[in-house]
Amino acid sequence: MYRTAAKRLLAGGGITTTRLLRLPKLRSTIIPSSYTSGLCTSSIGGNTESPMGNQSVNPNQSGPTASSSTGTGEGQRRHESRKPRAEFQEEQARVLSASLRHVPRLGWTEEAMMAGSRDVGVSPSIVGSFSRKEAALVEFFMDECLQLLMDRIDSGLDLQNLIPSERISKLIRIRLEMQVPYMSKWPQALSIQAHPLNVPTSFKQRAMLVDEIWHAVGDGASDLDWYVKRTILGGVYSTTEIYMLTDDSLEHRDTWAFLDDRVKDAFDLKKSIQEAKYFAEDIGAGVGKSVQGLMNGVMQTMSRRSGGSAF
Amino acid sequence: MALRTVSRRLGSRILNHRSFVASLHSHATSFGFQEVKEEEKSKLVGNVFTNVASSYDIMNDVMSGGLHRLWKERLVGKLSPFAGMKHLDVAGGTGDVAFRIYDAVYSVKRRALQKVDEASLEETQIYVCDINPNMLNVGKQRAAERGLRDNKSLVWVEGDAEALSFDDNSMDGYTIAFGIRNVTHIEKALAEAYRVLKRGGRFLCLELSHVEIPIFKNLYDLYSFQVIPNLGELIAGDRESYQYLVESVRRFPPQERFASMIADAGFEKVEYENLVGGVVAIHSAIKL
Repeated sequence: MYRTAAKRLLAGGGITTTRLLRLPKLRSTIIPSSYTSGLCTSSIGGNTESPMGNQSVNPNQSGPTASSSTGTGEGQRRHESRKPRAEFQEEQARVLSASLRHVPRLGWTEEAMMAGSRDVGVSPSIVGSFSRKEAALVEFFMDECLQLLMDRIDSGLDLQNLIPSERISKLIRIRLEMQVPYMSKWPQALSIQAHPLNVPTSFKQRAMLVDEIWHAVGDGASDLDWYVKRTILGGVYSTTEIYMLTDDSLEHRDTWAFLDDRVKDAFDLKKSIQEAKYFAEDIGAGVGKSVQGLMNGVMQTMSRRSGGSAF
Repeated sequence: MALRTVSRRLGSRILNHRSFVASLHSHATSFGFQEVKEEEKSKLVGNVFTNVASSYDIMNDVMSGGLHRLWKERLVGKLSPFAGMKHLDVAGGTGDVAFRIYDAVYSVKRRALQKVDEASLEETQIYVCDINPNMLNVGKQRAAERGLRDNKSLVWVEGDAEALSFDDNSMDGYTIAFGIRNVTHIEKALAEAYRVLKRGGRFLCLELSHVEIPIFKNLYDLYSFQVIPNLGELIAGDRESYQYLVESVRRFPPQERFASMIADAGFEKVEYENLVGGVVAIHSAIKL
């Protein structure tokens, strides 16, 4: 169920799907005649319906002195402007995408984003308007990676011949390899994601990622198991990610070995839990029987005694 | 004083020209609660600020209980100034906002945290534009007090918000704090702001705005109309100017309407944030 939501979310802002963004703009240029006096809070199609998940967070997290209320409006021009008006979300995506190149050198910081904005040909001031600045960059990257992962899965990744645990390993490996170019600065990204203001979004992104992986592995459970599976996989993913931070081996061989072990543990854990359940049942049964036997014996003895001692 | 005579003359002019009411209204604008001719407004506003220039900062502190500092901090925080930026502060006569931006860019703490290129630091230009030379003089004086008299980064320019003397696409940021309601044609000022900003440049406007919260609104009105003019008389010796001030606040378009005016000028991502329940609003937008 996350998958369709994810597709909608990412289609709105992903750099690969530009078609969806073009369409609303076409609508907007046709509409002007039906509006009066320039006041138009136009929901320019894509913007309000499919917000770019994290970036469209309203600046409502302001200090205690400010009771903030936001209003957004985009004016409709009566006359068509000569150059096509780039929408803010598009522009933001372009700047963030260009900024990623500077991350290995400058980190997940405003400097990287300002350098990115210069590459795109926009004033660095625009960075000041991104909500939760560095987090915007990190979240953009996470979304992009998820999109890439989904693309790879869709383009026919060979998962059929593998058993579930191997499938999971492979998928996590693919995903983590996307982070390799940024490995030197990844701890910073993790700390940004752990910041209280950013936790809701980063948690959601990880949940989507984990859900996507299970979906690809072919899981269809929808009961309590669903949460357990995702929690465990989330744990495996996070621990591997953190292990990778300090892994110096060639091509991160140690990390993949670690990953395989953890996945095995997880599946073993599942088996162990089941075995423990059966074991408990058996013991319960056994104890039950022996308690019953005991009670019977006691009753018999008592009745004999009472029978016998009745003078 | 000067203001009183002007308004008296104006009153008589309006009485004499009742037959020309039609033509007067077609080119009339508001000066507080009075209707005045457009050409008059800038002169009248000029007189107001000439009179208040010397006590402007003190009166700000008294009227807002020192809160105006917090509002300006918030404005500059939203702007996120960076080294090497070209910034224009319009109607920023006494330099409050400009100094804060300067400090933000040059602060040692910030330079330590971020790898700031010294060369780009030198390129920072903060232009302070004001139509009233008296206000600019007060600003220059304050700059001298801070040791920034000959600093290349701060440039004091006399100019009109409706007809800026800067090039197109030359500014990274544009702020106007408590100035736009004094402008005769707000749309022109917004158009000029759009013109001078670069692509990606930000427009930020801090202005007294409308309060809608029921009881608070009444208290605020009471404070505005009863207390402030008296304070003006007491401290600055000028009741009319402050009467004009509170009236002009009421005449200024409410938050949503102003936001749509900004959008009409071509800006994107127009947002506003109310502070103190709407007493003050910060409108922000981007030129794309």
